[in-house]
Amino acid sequence: MTPLSIRAYTTSSAAGIGKAATALALHEARSGLAPNDLPWAPLPCWIGRVNAAEGLALPAALAAYDCRNNRLALLALEQDGFMSAVAAARQRHGPARIGVFLGTSTSGILSTEIAYQNRDPVSGRLPAAFRYDTTHNLDATTEFVRIVLGLAGPAMTLSTACSSSAKVFCLAERLIRLGLIDAAVVGGVDSLCGTTLYGFNSLQLVATDICRPFDVARRGLSIGEAAGFALLDKEEAPLRLLGYGETSDAHHMSTPHPEGDGARRAMLEALERARLDVGQIDYINLHGTATPANDRAEGRAVAGLFGTTTPCSSTKGTTGHTLGAAGITEAAIALLSMEHDFMPGSTTTREVDPETQCRIVLRGAARPLRHVISNNFGFGGSNCALVFGKAA
Amino acid sequence: MRIFVEAVGVLAPGIKDWDNAKLVLGGEQPYLAAPLALVAPACLPPAERRRSSPTVRLAIAAAEQALSQTALAPQDMAMVFSSYEAAGVITHQLCEVLAGSREVSPTQFHNSVHNAPSGYYSIAMNAKLAASSVCRGKWSFSAGLLNAAAQVLADTIPVLYVCYDSPMPPPLSDVMPVLDATAIALVLTPAATTQTLAGWEITLSSGDGEVPWPAWMPPIWHANASARGFAALATLLANPADPACDSAALPLSPELNLQLRRCPCQPQVL
Repeated sequence: MTPLSIRAYTTSSAAGIGKAATALALHEARSGLAPNDLPWAPLPCWIGRVNAAEGLALPAALAAYDCRNNRLALLALEQDGFMSAVAAARQRHGPARIGVFLGTSTSGILSTEIAYQNRDPVSGRLPAAFRYDTTHNLDATTEFVRIVLGLAGPAMTLSTACSSSAKVFCLAERLIRLGLIDAAVVGGVDSLCGTTLYGFNSLQLVATDICRPFDVARRGLSIGEAAGFALLDKEEAPLRLLGYGETSDAHHMSTPHPEGDGARRAMLEALERARLDVGQIDYINLHGTATPANDRAEGRAVAGLFGTTTPCSSTKGTTGHTLGAAGITEAAIALLSMEHDFMPGSTTTREVDPETQCRIVLRGAARPLRHVISNNFGFGGSNCALVFGKAA
Repeated sequence: MRIFVEAVGVLAPGIKDWDNAKLVLGGEQPYLAAPLALVAPACLPPAERRRSSPTVRLAIAAAEQALSQTALAPQDMAMVFSSYEAAGVITHQLCEVLAGSREVSPTQFHNSVHNAPSGYYSIAMNAKLAASSVCRGKWSFSAGLLNAAAQVLADTIPVLYVCYDSPMPPPLSDVMPVLDATAIALVLTPAATTQTLAGWEITLSSGDGEVPWPAWMPPIWHANASARGFAALATLLANPADPACDSAALPLSPELNLQLRRCPCQPQVL
């Protein structure tokens, strides 16, 4: 495919607010995870909490959109000059020629959880102040971001669990290629809530200790929250989206195909679109959730395709598993790694599971990176692989 | 963008399939309300059939109807599903549990994801291509259709598109008043086939987020994003007496409409 340029991008998670802080955390192998201190979800686990977003005030005109997810979205939008970059694109292309496509798994569902704790004891009704459309609905953050950025092109939310904000790149590429729009803001926002903390816990997928992707003693994931955005267009830029692959496992709702069949096909399709051979990939940012099943299946898929030499790591020990925001968070990490020529390590992993055949990098290292793959997989057997490149 | 409609599935109270819908949309038969009975789809393996929610059953039943009218295999189609709120009953159950014991059931949790219907469907059909799950609030029908059409043309493949809404229980129904289940499924192709019903020329035009609803439709369906699809289906019926009926405007945002116009289709000899 014809590459798309990454005109601007930004990421905010527990690892850091904005690109510089995130890059520093990756360089220093510092985890943003901490023991769960959420008073409203007392579960013994580690979380990636973005405290800085919690007190943020939304513009008065958008007060109806106030919720944890949209505060986090606004915090991320305000970093790295992203809003100025979008303003310049708006000037250049016109607001109706720029799309907005975001991924999320739970949007502002925490607002509904809180509303349910405050139902009228007699009638059972939700509090009068509760707003569903502008907080909980999966499109609430997309519409909020579209309004904040002053854009008028087509917009929509993709919600395919943990691949959501990777798949937005594919949608944007198609609409730009077909000429319906000239540029797109893509990204994703997911915030901590009882639904995902207790939901993943019910599936015995949440570790009580910090998550340790691909570790022999891995026990499950640590949930984090994050927001990130990228501005894509057709003009020249050093960082580019070169390819993508999207597949379905058609195997099980909440367990990956044991051999990583869907993951493998997604990576293959991404390489084909990018017209690259496996040997040209310098680094793979794995989905690497630290659940026994994901890491086993993904490790097999990667080793089957790339063998044992291509360096891979999971940065979920740094950011936590940010679910619907994992795609954009790890896309941003892939882009940062190429900008800094620094391959991030697997911060919290101590001893790689001997069953793993792909080459897991524990410690980050300076290394020239031209082509990087980012993998994201989700419930429902939804797989997405993205290939990013740096102009020589 | 020009795409072709190969097959249609429709489910709503009082409308049991596409043949039935044609009579109502064409004015040959008045709309008559009747309960919608949903059975667990036979195409699901036993474990998935047991675990599937009413929403999943609704979406898959509509998809199965469309698939029954095409020779194209579901394994060769990409999938786009869309819904205003995919899992109303499950969201309610989860929020109730979280306000009390916090003992969430694992099945409830995996059924709560917006892409649960597409996940179950891909398992049922062994469909392994790309599957997306779209939400654009009350504009979800047109957003999902735009996504599906873009995939049809950009990747030159058939796409199964399903838009569905299932009823919200109280107290959520106070803030999100979907009270009836409605679902529409379409098989869309990049070129005409011998089975093509019609072509659609799809464009973006300016709008204000609102378009009048068909007069026959029960007003409570106005809360359903998928009910917007009936205006799209009406364009598939040739009506020489009313040339205006070959186009439809579907709201996509406060500023945009998705404009559909039926266009002639010449089957390509392959």
